[in-house]
Amino acid sequence: MSENPNPSEMPNPSEMRAVGVSHPRVEVVGKLTGDALYTGDLVLAGMLWAKVKKSPHARAKILSIDTSKAERLPGVHAVLTGHELDYRLGLYIVDKDILAKDDVRHFGEAVAAVAADSLEVAERAVELIDVTYAVLPPVLDPMQAIKPDAPLVHPDLGSYSYVEAAFSPQPGSNIANVTRMRKGDIEAGFSEAEWIIEREYTNPSVQHVPLETHVAIVQWKAGDEVTIWTSAQSPFTVRSLFCSAMRLPLNQVRVIVPHVGGGFGGKAGIHLEPLLACLSRKAGGRPVKLQATREEEFSLLPCRSALTYRIKTGVRSDGKITAQQMTMYWDAGAYADYAVNVTRASGYSAAGPYAIPNAWVDAYTIYTNKPYGTAYRGFGHVEFFWGLERHMELVAQVIGMDPLEFRMKNLLRPGATTLTGEKITEHSGDPRKCLQAAAEAIDYGRLTPEEQERQERTGRKIGKGLATLHKAPAMPSFTATAAVAKMNSDGSVVLNIALTEIGQGCATAVGQIAAETLRFPVGKVKVAIETDTDKEPYDWQTVASKGLILTGNATVLACQDLLAQAYEVAAQVLRANRDDLDHDAEKIFVKHNPESSVSFAALSVGYAYPNGNGIGGPLVGVGRYVAQGLSNLDKETGQGLPALDWTYGAHGVIVEVDPDTGEFDVLKIASVFDVGKVINPAIMRGQCIGGMIQGLGTALCEGYIYDQEGHLLNPSFTDNKIPTAKDLPEVIESVAVETAQLDGPFGARGVGEHPMISVAPALGNAIHQATGAELMHMPMRFEDVWRALLDKAPIDNWITDSPYGSCRSDLPSGPHPLEVAAGPELQPREAPVATAPV
Amino acid sequence: MTDIFKYRSPVLRAELLGILADHGEDARVLAGGTDLLVDVRNGFARPKVVVDLKRVEGFSDVSWSQAEGLIIRPAVTINDILQHAKVRDSYPLLVACAQDLASHQIRNRATVVGNVVNASPCADMAPALLCLGARAVISSRAGHRVVPFKDFFTGVKQTVLRPGEILEEIIVPPETATARGSYRKLKRIKGHDLGIVGVAAMKKDGLLRLGISSCAPTPLLVEGLSEADPVEVAVTAAQLAIHPISDLRCSREYREHMVGVFVRRVLQEVA
Amino acid sequence: MRISVTVNGHSYERDIEEHWTLLRFLREGVGLTGTKEGCAAGECGACTVFLNGKTVNSCLVLAAEADGGAVDTIEGEARDGNLSAIQAAFSRNHAVQCGYCTGGMILSVRDLLSKNPKPSIDEIKAGIEGNFCRCTGYQQIIEAVLDVSGQLTPATKGELKYV
Repeated sequence: MSENPNPSEMPNPSEMRAVGVSHPRVEVVGKLTGDALYTGDLVLAGMLWAKVKKSPHARAKILSIDTSKAERLPGVHAVLTGHELDYRLGLYIVDKDILAKDDVRHFGEAVAAVAADSLEVAERAVELIDVTYAVLPPVLDPMQAIKPDAPLVHPDLGSYSYVEAAFSPQPGSNIANVTRMRKGDIEAGFSEAEWIIEREYTNPSVQHVPLETHVAIVQWKAGDEVTIWTSAQSPFTVRSLFCSAMRLPLNQVRVIVPHVGGGFGGKAGIHLEPLLACLSRKAGGRPVKLQATREEEFSLLPCRSALTYRIKTGVRSDGKITAQQMTMYWDAGAYADYAVNVTRASGYSAAGPYAIPNAWVDAYTIYTNKPYGTAYRGFGHVEFFWGLERHMELVAQVIGMDPLEFRMKNLLRPGATTLTGEKITEHSGDPRKCLQAAAEAIDYGRLTPEEQERQERTGRKIGKGLATLHKAPAMPSFTATAAVAKMNSDGSVVLNIALTEIGQGCATAVGQIAAETLRFPVGKVKVAIETDTDKEPYDWQTVASKGLILTGNATVLACQDLLAQAYEVAAQVLRANRDDLDHDAEKIFVKHNPESSVSFAALSVGYAYPNGNGIGGPLVGVGRYVAQGLSNLDKETGQGLPALDWTYGAHGVIVEVDPDTGEFDVLKIASVFDVGKVINPAIMRGQCIGGMIQGLGTALCEGYIYDQEGHLLNPSFTDNKIPTAKDLPEVIESVAVETAQLDGPFGARGVGEHPMISVAPALGNAIHQATGAELMHMPMRFEDVWRALLDKAPIDNWITDSPYGSCRSDLPSGPHPLEVAAGPELQPREAPVATAPV
Repeated sequence: MTDIFKYRSPVLRAELLGILADHGEDARVLAGGTDLLVDVRNGFARPKVVVDLKRVEGFSDVSWSQAEGLIIRPAVTINDILQHAKVRDSYPLLVACAQDLASHQIRNRATVVGNVVNASPCADMAPALLCLGARAVISSRAGHRVVPFKDFFTGVKQTVLRPGEILEEIIVPPETATARGSYRKLKRIKGHDLGIVGVAAMKKDGLLRLGISSCAPTPLLVEGLSEADPVEVAVTAAQLAIHPISDLRCSREYREHMVGVFVRRVLQEVA
Repeated sequence: MRISVTVNGHSYERDIEEHWTLLRFLREGVGLTGTKEGCAAGECGACTVFLNGKTVNSCLVLAAEADGGAVDTIEGEARDGNLSAIQAAFSRNHAVQCGYCTGGMILSVRDLLSKNPKPSIDEIKAGIEGNFCRCTGYQQIIEAVLDVSGQLTPATKGELKYV
C-alpha cells in the first residue's frame, strides 16, 4: 500500500520505480529491425519526385529562366519558377521567396523546381532548365558586410514585415537585427579594473549533419486541403508557418511526422514543405516528394551561423571581473531564418555563468551571400562559448591566476544576478559543483604518475583544460504545451504529445514521467511516436531543451487528471469517499477495506453495473502547461526574465599534443551537468556523449570553406568530416548533478543541447596548457595548432584565396595583438601553476 | 545527375576488350565502383556503357611465384590483399598501404588496380607499388604493353592508359618480396579520410625507397637512397622531390613540414 | 534488365534500370526500406548490407552487379519475430537514438563478430569506422558490442556518474 493518500501527490523519491531508471527506449524495436518508417520510406499512390535547380553562384541577378524544354519532357508534371509564387517566408523576418525571383543570394539557392514521374525524369528536366545569370561579386565577410558602403544582400529590408517586439533590423544595411544588453555602468566598471583584456574569437559555419537529410512529401488537394509528411522537429510550427505563408486556415493543413533521423535544430522550422506544396498543386494534387541529397543538405538547406566574438574584460588583480563588453558579429548568410533569434538568445546569455556587475552586449545579425544559418543545437551557445571560455582562460593567465580558481571566483552563486537582472537562487542549479566535478574528473592541476610517464616516454605534452557552460531555453515567454492521456479498455494508457521524438529519447522519458505519476509500470504506458497535428494536442517546438520541463509537467497534469476522473467514478462504484481511496497498477480500492475495489479496466471506457446501467465514460486526462512568470526583454537594456530554467555544466578535457607537428589526441573528456533529476540515466548519458562528440567534431574538423566567389568548396563528406568511432577519446565520462528544479517534473530540467556547448574551448584550453599554443579560431586542426605553436599567421580557412585567406580584412594578419591597458608589467608566463580552488 | 547507361558484364576477356575498343570514350570500366559510381553520380563521368570486369575469368586472382613475383589482377579488392597469406607474409608495405584505405566496406569493393587507375594524387596503393618496383601490364584488343609504375602516372587523375586499354595485371617483382616497409598517412580525423600527406618507405638489401602521396600532381617515388643514409638525407630528398599545393585541406607549408616528420616516423618503423 | 537476387533468403526477380544502385533496388524494387541512404557516396555507411557475405555500401554497388547473388539486409537480422543477440544488446545498452544509422551499424557489427568473436575496443572502433552516427557518439554502441561478445565488465560498462 502506498503511503501517499492523495492521487495527485507525487511519490517519494525513494519509492520511485519508473523515474531514475534506464528503461529501454519505447520505440527501439522498430529502429533495430528496420521496420520504423521515416518520411523517405513512405510511398504514396500517385507520388511524384521533385528535384531542384540550384544556383552555382553566390550572388547574381537572374536574367531569364527558360523552362520550355523541361516542361515538354515526357513524365514531367510541374515546373515552377520564383515569379509564379506569390508567397513570402520567414520565421521572424519575412525575407525569403520559395524560389529565387530576381536575385540569387547564396551558392546552392533554389531557382526552379520540377515534379516528375521518376527521379531520372526529374533530374533530366532540371538539366533542361536554362538559367541566365548576371554574376555579381558576393559579400562574404561579415566584417565587410557590416560596413556602410557594403553591397546590400537585402536592399528592401525596410519593407519586410518582422516580429517587432523582439527584433531590430536596420534597413539600408546588411544588419538583420541588433540586440543590446545593458547592465550596470560599464565605464565605472572598467575604471575599477586593474587589467583590461580584449580579444576576438571566431568560428565558421557548420552543418548539423543529421544522418537523415531533409525530406518531405506534400499533397495539395482540391479544396485547398494540404497534407504534409515531413521529417521535422516541430509539426505545429510547420503548420502555422506554412499556413501563414500560403494564406490558408490552420484546419485545412495537416502535418504528419513519422520517425525522424536526427534534427539537431536543422529541422526545427519549415524548409522544403512550401515548395513541394506548390509543385503538388501545379501537378493537379499529386503528392510530391523530395529528399535532399547530402550535397543539398550542405548548401540548399541551412547551416549554423558563423560568429566573430570580441570580448573586452576588466578585472581586478584579485580575480574579480568588474566589467565586460561583448560584441557579437553573427554571419547569418543570405536569410534571417532563426539567426536573428540566435543573436537575441545569445545576447542575454553572452556572459556565461558568471556574475558580472557591469556588462554590455551588442550583437549583430549580418546578412552575407552564403547558405544561411538556422537553429542549431545550442542556439548560438556552442559558437559564443568558444570565445567566452577561451577568453576566461586567457584573462586568468594574464593576471597570473589559475584558470579554475579564476572561474570559481566569478561563477554565479545564489543571490547573484544575470545579464538580464534575473536573481539566481540555490534551486537554479550549481555551476560551481559542475566545474569542481569536471576538474576532479580529470585531476586538473597536476599530471598523474601515469601521465608523467607517458609524457616523458612519448615526448608529447599533456595538458588539461576546463570550460563551463549554461543555457536557458530560447523560447517565447509564454511557450505552452499540452498532453492527453487516454485509458484503453484493459487499463493501459496511451499518451499523446506533439513533442517529437528525433532520437533524443523524449518519448521514453515522458513515458517514464507518466508511469511514475500514475504509479503504473512503464510498460503500461504507450507514448504515441508519430505526430499528427490533427490528433496530437499543441506543442510549440521540439527545440531549446524545454521538452522535459514543459511536456513533462503537462504529462504529470494529464495523468493526474486521468486519475482524478477514475477516482470520481470509483467513488460512486465503491460507494466510498474519494479521500478514502487509493490505487495500484491495476485497481482503485478502499484504503481501510482493500477488498472493496474496482479495476481500471472496468472504469476505462465507462463503468457498467451488473444490471447494465452505465456511468462515467472514456477516461481521458488532459494536462496543459505554460511557462510561468517569464517576461519579454526590454529592447534597449535587455532586462527581463526570459529563462524557464538554467542548465549549468562544465567539461574537463585532457589532451596530448605533439609539440613538433600540432597533432593531438583527446585522452579524456569528462562532462558534468546539473539536470535537477535524471529521468533515464542511460538516455541522459547518451545525450551527453553524443553531444560531446558532436562538440568534438565542431572543435576539430567541421567547418564550411568557401572560395572568393562564394562557392562552397566542401559540400560533402569528402571534405566536411564528422567524427567516426575511431575519433572517440580514450575515456569519456558523463556526470550528473541533481539540484532539483522546483517547477520541473520530479525536479528535472533539460540537457539536450548542453553537452555540445563548451567542448571546443575546453579542448582549446587544454592545448594551450599543454603547449602555450593560443587558438582563437575554430576548428582547431592539427595545422592550426602547429601554426599557433610557431606563432605563424593563422589560416582562417573559411574563405580561401589560395594559399591564405582571411575573412577579417580589417584586422592585421599575424598573431592578434594582446591589448592590455594598465596593470603590472607583463611577464612571460609558463603554464599556470595550479592552486587550490576557492 | 545519373545518366542512363547500359551495363555489360562479360565473362570472356576478349569480349571485355572488344567492348572497350568498340565504345572508346563512351565506355567506362567498372571494378569496385567506389570511384566510378561517385563520379557518375556527381556528373564527372557520363558513360554510355559501364563494363563490369569482375566476372571475367581469372580477374579476381592473386598469384605468387618465385619466378614472377606477385601478380594482382583487376578485380582483386583491397581486403583481398589484406587477407592474402602471401601478401601478409612477404609484402608488409602493401598491407600497410591497404589497411588505412577508406573504410572496411569500401575495402571490400575497391580494387588495387582501380585505386591506381583512378590515379588520385592521394592514391594509397601507389606509394607501395612505386617503392616495390611494380610494373603495370596494360592490355587492349590490340595487344599489351608493360609500363613501370614510376612511369604510369602522368598527372592529376591521369595515367598512360589510352581509351580501350585496361590495367590487367600489377606485377610486383620477386626481388622486393620480404622487403621491410611501412606507410603512414596524415588525416584530418582518426577515422577514414583521404591522405593529406602519405609516406611509404621500403628497405631491402641496403636499398631505401620512399613513396609519397598527396604532395604532387602524382604519387612520387624517391630513389637513390640507401638504408645506411642518415635519416635527414632521406628527409631532404623527400622534401626536394615534392611540390605540394595549398588547398582546402592543408597548406603547402604544413605538407612540407609533415613530409619530413612522416619520413622520420616511417623510417623508424622500418628500422 | 531483369535480375534475380536472393535477399534475406528469399529469391526476387525484378526488372530494373541498369544504372540502379543496389540500395535503390532494395528500397524500391523489393520494398525493404530498412537500408537507408545517408550520402550516396560511400562515406557514411547508412546503406551497409551484406553482398555475397561481405559488407558493402550498397549506394556504390549497381543492382546489376548483385544479379545471381545473395544480399542480407537489416530486415533479415531478427528471426521469427525475435530480436537477434546483437539487436537485444543494442537495446539494453542504449546504442540507438534516432535509428537512422542502426541498420547499417548492426550489420557491420555482425560482420566484425563473425570474424572476431571477442574484439578489443580498438577493433570494435575499426569495425564500425565506416558507419557514421551523429546521435550517440558511439560509446554505447561499443558497449553493446562488448556486451554481446561477453566482454562487458564493471570497468567497461559505462554508467552515468552522480555527484
